[in-house]
Amino acid sequence: MTKFLSGLAKGMATTARTMTTHAHTQQYPHVKPELPSRSRGVIALLEENCTSCMLCARECPDWCIYIDSHKETTPPTTEGGRARQHNVLDRFAIDFSLCMYCGICIEVCPFDALFWSPEFEYSTTDIRDLLQEKETLGQWMPTVPAPEPLVPELPQTEAQQLVVDVEPEDDPAAGRTTKRGAGEVPRPGTEEQP
Amino acid sequence: MTTDLPMPRVGAGQAAAPKPMRLVLNWGRRYSLWVFNFGLACCAIEFIAASMARHDFIRLGVIPFAPGPRQADLMVVSGTVTDKMAPAVRRLYDQMPEPKYVISFGACSNSGGPYWDSYCVTKGVDQLIPVDVYVPGCPPRPEALLQGILVLQQQIAQEKLQTKSLRGRLGPYAGRRASAAEVSRPLVAPPEQTT
Amino acid sequence: MTDTTQAQSDPYGATTHDVDEDTPVLNAVGGDWDELVDEATALHEERIVVNMGPQHPSTHGVLRLILELDGETVTEARAGIGYLHTGIEKNMEFRTWTQGVTFCTRMDYVMPIFNEASYCLAVEKALGITDQIPERAQTIRVLMMEFNRITSHLVALATGGMEMGATTVMTIGFRERERILSIFEMITGLRMNNAYIRPGGVATDIPAGTIDKIRETIPLVRKGIHELEALLNENPILKGRTVDVGYLDLSGCMALGITGPMLRAAGLPHDLRKAEPYCGYETYDFDIPTRDTCDAYGRLRVRIDEMHESLKIVEQAVDRLDAGPGPVMVADKKIAWPAQLAVGSDGQGNSLDHIREIMGESMESLIHHFKLVTEGFRVPPGQAYAAVESPKGEMGCHVVSDGGTRPYRVHFRDPSFNNLQAVAATAEGGSVADVIVAVASIDPVMGGVDR
Repeated sequence: MTKFLSGLAKGMATTARTMTTHAHTQQYPHVKPELPSRSRGVIALLEENCTSCMLCARECPDWCIYIDSHKETTPPTTEGGRARQHNVLDRFAIDFSLCMYCGICIEVCPFDALFWSPEFEYSTTDIRDLLQEKETLGQWMPTVPAPEPLVPELPQTEAQQLVVDVEPEDDPAAGRTTKRGAGEVPRPGTEEQP
Repeated sequence: MTTDLPMPRVGAGQAAAPKPMRLVLNWGRRYSLWVFNFGLACCAIEFIAASMARHDFIRLGVIPFAPGPRQADLMVVSGTVTDKMAPAVRRLYDQMPEPKYVISFGACSNSGGPYWDSYCVTKGVDQLIPVDVYVPGCPPRPEALLQGILVLQQQIAQEKLQTKSLRGRLGPYAGRRASAAEVSRPLVAPPEQTT
Repeated sequence: MTDTTQAQSDPYGATTHDVDEDTPVLNAVGGDWDELVDEATALHEERIVVNMGPQHPSTHGVLRLILELDGETVTEARAGIGYLHTGIEKNMEFRTWTQGVTFCTRMDYVMPIFNEASYCLAVEKALGITDQIPERAQTIRVLMMEFNRITSHLVALATGGMEMGATTVMTIGFRERERILSIFEMITGLRMNNAYIRPGGVATDIPAGTIDKIRETIPLVRKGIHELEALLNENPILKGRTVDVGYLDLSGCMALGITGPMLRAAGLPHDLRKAEPYCGYETYDFDIPTRDTCDAYGRLRVRIDEMHESLKIVEQAVDRLDAGPGPVMVADKKIAWPAQLAVGSDGQGNSLDHIREIMGESMESLIHHFKLVTEGFRVPPGQAYAAVESPKGEMGCHVVSDGGTRPYRVHFRDPSFNNLQAVAATAEGGSVADVIVAVASIDPVMGGVDR
């Protein structure tokens, strides 16, 4: 009898302990998850930086990026000068029904026009809504987290110091390389020099 | 022998008090979804993680471990649907009773995903069955599945119960009568080669 | 004696006019009863063929088990596979060497890091840069692999427990797995299928705060594994279901080419991390748990012990990472994926230094960047095979290169594919419930089996 009672007491003690322990559950719709800054939810496009070099479209292993662009010429600014050509982006679309979130497009972009954002709440009822055009991709930009601090022991070069100082959300044009011809060193914060 | 099952009808309560009836029936349907987990590949692991303690979709009324398709309302297709598996998907979907919903979870079941140009992958489960909600990701987070379930629940909340529109929504898939022979037939032999 | 024509002359035997022409009738008219029984069983008239799967809550993924039953005993068990064949190896022939990582990571989806590691080690062997991989990259690889070993074993134990009906094992297993997945997300950005290990090193360095988080997580995971042990090790129901079930002794394992916990539970302490070390494993201090019971219970204990050993290795790796910074990608610019000291929010993107160099200063760097990211690097013609010790066994990758930017052929020796062939040997002769336990102890993952 005592063995039965002691076994019963042990069992009830386990139940009581589990009942009073806080549950591990994250109550999702009311409590949003705390995601690390590297978390890959959706891809955001900073349209001003894109030069339609098509590297991302070429490198995507699934070919889920669609880019259309055309060339426009700006007339020469000084007399006797040459008319400059630049690319104008017409269409930049990412098909998130194909995307495998590998990040190769963000890694290869030399102009930092693509960023990861931790947003994941974009399930749709129609699959065509998963093909997001550049307007939608641009709307994810405010959700892109700030660049994280690098491992402190690594020597910080001047350039990295500048990046850490500038707040990307306030001033998206500053701190990023804008379209420049080869030969000019990009400096954040300066006005665009023709 | 054809099993002549009539289309589902709502009944007399709808004629007497349409709006409250609709409210009650939609509420009941969307908060007690028995889910039949069609777990195929990587997304199945995230689906299982979503059913476990940390994310727990039982809080949303979705009850896992339905004993089989015949006792399930919701089918979550998670993972790559290959051409070899496609007949099984179709057969199990047909075994589910109306009203039934499908969530396509992950890139592979949305549209073939990373393998869309492979020789043996079905490019999206919506080629076989009608899908209600597409959850993107490779694999999507468990919270993304929870959000997809919320989207589905909002969609169910807006369903109208007129018999005609029910038929209209379920359309070509549900109006079709499936004979018992059709769901239990063996493999069809390929056509004879005429040299 | 069993001739049907004789029956007509036998007044007490069955007459043929009330049975069909081709139904064999056996008459016992004296003589040895055993011979009659042997003949009756050889006719296989009572055989039932049961098809389990491909969609079944208890099979590990889309596995079709065709069982021939005699009552409750399984007389023949065959595995039907191919329901998850996505053609990954063929797909990789049309992707560059670096893009291939994003595909091969999806093969065996509970151990993505090992798939990538075996592929990258093989590519590095073909390139000949195996000893130029920086030490920090090796340490990070070991760290990620050991964490992945723990998550894979947790999934194996959790789903195995659920299939036997112990749902608490599943909730605890997945709870611990979530802790480790949040570390993966912190480092790589994704919880699963992270294409993190690249040929030449790893994709990015670990962010600040990771080491502290890992040091906080290790004792919690250890406690969770102790909870699992408390539920599993001495549980009489579990022991009743797993002891002497799924028996495959050492000669059976050797005949079938089984590796991994199944082999170590049969008594042979064979582990590629000790036998043919890679990624610096010879410098870590760990043991190889071995049992000699050859049954499902032994494999379960081996998996739990391996999780403890993995935690030991993780602690050593974290101490090394804490010791100091270093490069995480090979120095050769013709191969290195341009992931230097990235400034993007997820550690991806290019550093301003790199951009200044390629856009402003050096035309060759710009050309290199473009050629590297569009074409990819070239691997000299030849072939290489590299194997790692994955949680399921020996995971090997054989790459064949014809000198181009894309592989000519990539073939993976997936451990689950070979281990699954033991389902016949382990399940036949047992009951149907034992088939479930045997398959769970083999721990196949159909993504790896079918690729």
